[in-house]
Amino acid sequence: MNLEAFERFAVGYQPGEIIFCEYEPGDAFYLIQQGRVQISKIMGDIEKTVDVLQPGEIFGEMAILEEAPRSATAIAVERVKCLEFNRENFEILMRGNPAIALKLLKLFTKRIYDQRRRFMILTLDDTQARVADVFLMLNELRGQPEDETDERVFFTTQEDVAHWAGLSTEETRHVLNHFVSQRRLEVEKDRIILKNINEFVRFVNSRRKQ
Amino acid sequence: MPRPMTFKANSVIYFRGDVSDRIYILKSGRVSLNSTDIETGQEIHDYIQTGEFFGVKSALGKYPREENAVVLSDASVLMFTVPEFEHIVSQNTRIIMKMLKVFSNQLRRMHAKVSALLAEDAQVDPESGLFNIGQYYLGKKRYEQALYAFRRYLTYYPSGRLHARANELAQKAEQFLQQYGAGKGPNIEGVEAASPAESAKPEAGRQLSDAAKEFYAAVSTFSQQKYAEALRSFKQIADTSSDEEYRIKALFEMGRCFSSLGQHDACIKHFTGLIQRYPKIPELPDALYYVGQSYQEKGDTQRAQSFYQKIMSMPGVGEALMRKVRRAIKAGGG
Repeated sequence: MNLEAFERFAVGYQPGEIIFCEYEPGDAFYLIQQGRVQISKIMGDIEKTVDVLQPGEIFGEMAILEEAPRSATAIAVERVKCLEFNRENFEILMRGNPAIALKLLKLFTKRIYDQRRRFMILTLDDTQARVADVFLMLNELRGQPEDETDERVFFTTQEDVAHWAGLSTEETRHVLNHFVSQRRLEVEKDRIILKNINEFVRFVNSRRKQ
Repeated sequence: MPRPMTFKANSVIYFRGDVSDRIYILKSGRVSLNSTDIETGQEIHDYIQTGEFFGVKSALGKYPREENAVVLSDASVLMFTVPEFEHIVSQNTRIIMKMLKVFSNQLRRMHAKVSALLAEDAQVDPESGLFNIGQYYLGKKRYEQALYAFRRYLTYYPSGRLHARANELAQKAEQFLQQYGAGKGPNIEGVEAASPAESAKPEAGRQLSDAAKEFYAAVSTFSQQKYAEALRSFKQIADTSSDEEYRIKALFEMGRCFSSLGQHDACIKHFTGLIQRYPKIPELPDALYYVGQSYQEKGDTQRAQSFYQKIMSMPGVGEALMRKVRRAIKAGGG
């Protein structure tokens, strides 16, 4: 990728330095050239790492749509060099560098898919079906399994499940307890074991409007 | 090389659920993308215009097709693989820009829909959100990050509610950064000290009390649609359990059993009694909903609507219930 022409958009960050912070208005997006960037969200008293991005990856891309508040914080893990783009120089970048434009296009297809999937969960009225569908989504994210057994192990917390299901932790716990009492799930300290993924697929489908 | 193809009317170019890296341009004829609206389950038809690409998103994103591409009248198309598509659009970035706009619009719409369903989540306004982040980092003695957040707060909200406090904490962060360095220094009054993630402990794995076990056994019976049997079990718990929490929960579930059994009068009477005895139960809006539904089933739309309206006016009602209520109000012509 020839980016020499864009050197004037380069910005540098020291390890630990914040690139942007959740809730601040965003007007630029970034392409990492060097170093890794941690994307995290603070939920209550916990900082959750959403992703760690490598050189070549793009972040903050929602800012080219509108100046909405950032939905997460970006922190330099090590010395980081990024190209910073805003709406003014964005078109120049696209014209001069179709590879980046294509990359952005692919990123959007993935974001649309993720949001759409999330929306599918949230439109389920039945809270049990919502929680079950969160596990189906997590299962889809990991792609095709090597063995075709029914059991799936998720290294996920109840708070995560609650977040995806759009339910309170209390409600989520209630539903998980119910699944546990039916022996459809096992909840352990660091993992949740789903006994039969296919049974959950059928369950969720039966609750979805046709 | 892109391949020209022709399709007869009523044939299908691809099906929902297919995974494929093919992208098409419509050259002539009529093609409709048929999909299902996630919310309503209704069928949506999007007609492709001549010269328009289709199948782009799922091919680029490598996920299953979300629609059936149905040929309405004999059509000729040009088919690309993803690398061919990338090659051709790289020659003409205007196409990419156009697609980016379309995609970003779709993404924005999807975002808006998701946030609407997460109304309770959206209650953190950006102003307090930003301030809280400063506080979080300060509590963790990550002074540099705290300083960043507070400075941003001061920049964006020069006359904000928390301006004075943000200013004070920014100075503290700066002072402590120089004096003690990251990770060190005393706790600051009014700022939560770093504590291990208490809430992350799983609780479902804990031993359930006997009352809870009985209760969930009955819930399980209910979900198997054995309502009469579930009703007996819940009544047993409500009458005899030593655990008040589960007694009340069981009372609530009894009402749901009556509702599912179609015993509308019993349902109304039961929930009314429950609400009078325990006006503060968290399930109050749900209880009101069941009462409203029972009136509706009995043909008393007016009473039903007044219960639905009552729920609408209550704070903190869950989104799932709100939607049911809105639907019920609509169905009742309200």
